[in-house]
Amino acid sequence: MVADYWENVFTARERGQQVVWYNGSAVNPIFQAAGLEWCHGEAFSARLAAQQLEKPAQLAAEEYGYIGELCSYARTHLGCAVLTQQARSEDQTGVVGLIDQQELASRLPAPDFFVNAYAGCSTGQQWDEISYRVFGKEVPIFNVSLPFLWGNKPDSGYLRGREWDEASQYVARQLHDLIAFVESMTGRPFDWDALREAMTYIKRASELRREAMELCKAAPTPATYWDWIASIAHINFLPATQELVDYFQAVKDEIVKRLESGIPGVQNERYRFYFDGIMNWNKLGWLAKKFAAHDVAMVCGRYTHNAFWQEPHLIDTDDPILGMAQHYLLCPTNHGTKTLKYLTNRDCEEYGVDGIVFHASRTCRAFTNPQHLLAKAAQRELGIPSMFFEGDVADASFYKDEILESRLVAMLETIDLRRSRATA
Amino acid sequence: MTQPSAGALSTLIEIAENPTGYVTRWKTATGGKAIGAFPMNFPAEIAHAAGVLSVVVQESREPITSGRNLLTEFYCGYTRNLADQAARGRLDVYDGFFLADHCIQLLGAVDVVREEGNRPVYFGQLMASMGDPWTRTAVDGKMLSFREELAEFTGRTIGDADLARSIRLFNENRRLLRSVFDARRAGDATFTSAELQALVKSSMVMDKEEHTALVRRALAEARAARRDGRIRLHLSGHFCHAPRPELLRAIEDCGAIVVDDDLFHGTRYISTDVREDVEPLAALSQWYLDRNVSVPCPTRVQHDVDWDAYLLDSVRASGADGVIVLMAKFCEPHMLYYPELRKALNAAGVPNLLIETEHEGLPLESVRTRVEALLERIRHSQLANA
Repeated sequence: MVADYWENVFTARERGQQVVWYNGSAVNPIFQAAGLEWCHGEAFSARLAAQQLEKPAQLAAEEYGYIGELCSYARTHLGCAVLTQQARSEDQTGVVGLIDQQELASRLPAPDFFVNAYAGCSTGQQWDEISYRVFGKEVPIFNVSLPFLWGNKPDSGYLRGREWDEASQYVARQLHDLIAFVESMTGRPFDWDALREAMTYIKRASELRREAMELCKAAPTPATYWDWIASIAHINFLPATQELVDYFQAVKDEIVKRLESGIPGVQNERYRFYFDGIMNWNKLGWLAKKFAAHDVAMVCGRYTHNAFWQEPHLIDTDDPILGMAQHYLLCPTNHGTKTLKYLTNRDCEEYGVDGIVFHASRTCRAFTNPQHLLAKAAQRELGIPSMFFEGDVADASFYKDEILESRLVAMLETIDLRRSRATA
Repeated sequence: MTQPSAGALSTLIEIAENPTGYVTRWKTATGGKAIGAFPMNFPAEIAHAAGVLSVVVQESREPITSGRNLLTEFYCGYTRNLADQAARGRLDVYDGFFLADHCIQLLGAVDVVREEGNRPVYFGQLMASMGDPWTRTAVDGKMLSFREELAEFTGRTIGDADLARSIRLFNENRRLLRSVFDARRAGDATFTSAELQALVKSSMVMDKEEHTALVRRALAEARAARRDGRIRLHLSGHFCHAPRPELLRAIEDCGAIVVDDDLFHGTRYISTDVREDVEPLAALSQWYLDRNVSVPCPTRVQHDVDWDAYLLDSVRASGADGVIVLMAKFCEPHMLYYPELRKALNAAGVPNLLIETEHEGLPLESVRTRVEALLERIRHSQLANA
């Protein structure tokens, strides 16, 4: 499904389709209803990194002047923008460049317009502004501004309080303006029925995903965080159709079958961990194997369990805009530490977690922001130990395997010691 | 509060180097409250109208110790230092904290301030997308929220007349400082760039009336000097916190003279006045929007405002021979915009150099070597074009 989606994006021009580049929130149901092809910048950077194909884009970005400490999602995507722009001018001039070697990074069709709807990270909005400039300010752009859920007032909290209510309405109003903008780009009236239909599929897919996640609270867990990572593309940006619902139904069915058959996600599960941080896409399989080799089941995480249409009850399929706005605000980097402590500790308790692994992703300040405070809170309030390892979202050069290995072994020994004392 | 026997400039430099000392003295003398405001767009006029001393929290010079365990090392020096100051009780002099800017690194540091302390922290997020149809309404709402929060914080009503008076005082201060910067552009070399930084930095810290009076004294006491034949440079960038004075001195020691800048602790901070002919809160909203047009900032998103074009215009206006871009390491908006600056400067044939700064460690010898190389390049170019 994911490969088909990208192939569809790459061939959009041949089929005469308009293409929108967007970053941040999953506003793609709006694009789907408008009959567009959509390309999520972060997702494309993640795809390149997962396939170890990010370097040509990153080198193009470096040559253009981006410093290596810049968000590697942005750096990779801007490198793609530079390559795409170069490819476009080479097409126009007939000059053949290095495009063959940079094939995948430059296969992105140039955008007809940009939409930015970035929650949490301030870099997100600035990144698309720079993409707009890389394309010579010739491609229209629309910004949805998503307030940070800081928690100023005593009534502020997860899904509650005046701040939540006001922010939800504020974003909902902007989504109506976004739809008017999309109409102006397509020259067609917006198909509200198509949006309702898409959101009905998303709501059902999300319910199935959450039900399946709930089943993974069992010990041993039938599926791990890494399995949920493998399903992120589906829930985040694939077309909302019956096929999406069927996919998550199949995921849930498989988990039920595993529970019934006693098949664990990790053979010999001895430790249950929580993963905090954005994914290290270069090392997805590597990390999954590494933790499994130490009998660690990564049972849940902030990136998988507190993101991506995670509160389906908020979606009113007859009038989906408010529920969509609220999900855009519920990005796991868009909360102050007070709310994140609540979410992390809640999940750690519900999933019976023994320890937390913090991925200190070098160029993703949005995810690393509260990590030390979360670690302290988990230790203080739940007695759960944690460890940090350094890596990055899409730049393999920041990953330090030896540090991860030694810290992991040390934490497992700590847990073993604690257990032996408890049983002594 | 100030040291009456000292020269005015020395006093301003001392306050710029030790803001906490000034705030402590001010609180003792007035019995008033002080708030720590985080850069770069908090409307301090509202706090002043409430009788509060609003201080832009400065980077301290202390090495980061406890803060290392609260914020990771790949955050900018300012935010890591803020976390460290919070952990070590260095911010206890403030009775509360306010911020208006959505920078993800800054929010991380301010969350540490909130978690490590027990003082009120208020974030009124001024939207960064400046040109949307709803921008003005949203900004108006935030200005109103600042007034409400500060009224609650102080327990007093903030009337329009109070606000109008504060705006007048702040404008007077900005105008005075701008006159010094304008003079520099026109060839005045009375103050070094480090001294000019102290004038602005102390303005971020002090009561505005007192600061204005002190700056007037400093101007009266100063011995006027004209610019000599050194290579003329424009300093660009460095948001939120000040580049170290010794860095500025090193640049000038190499045989250059700074003739203009767009630094936050420089032209950017004093660039824009608040209109006095409209309702005060509305005027503050307009100030926020105008500020990004006066001196464009990469932390804001505004399609029809170009920092690169602004920089080229400034270089032409001041007659600068080259540009040094000062970038606080890990500053993402600056990293994002930098290639656009470089492209524009190179296209216009303006020699330029990027220097990254960190909280700890300023490799002065390497900075000197690089600056000298830039100056040589400029001299060669001047000879070739002579």
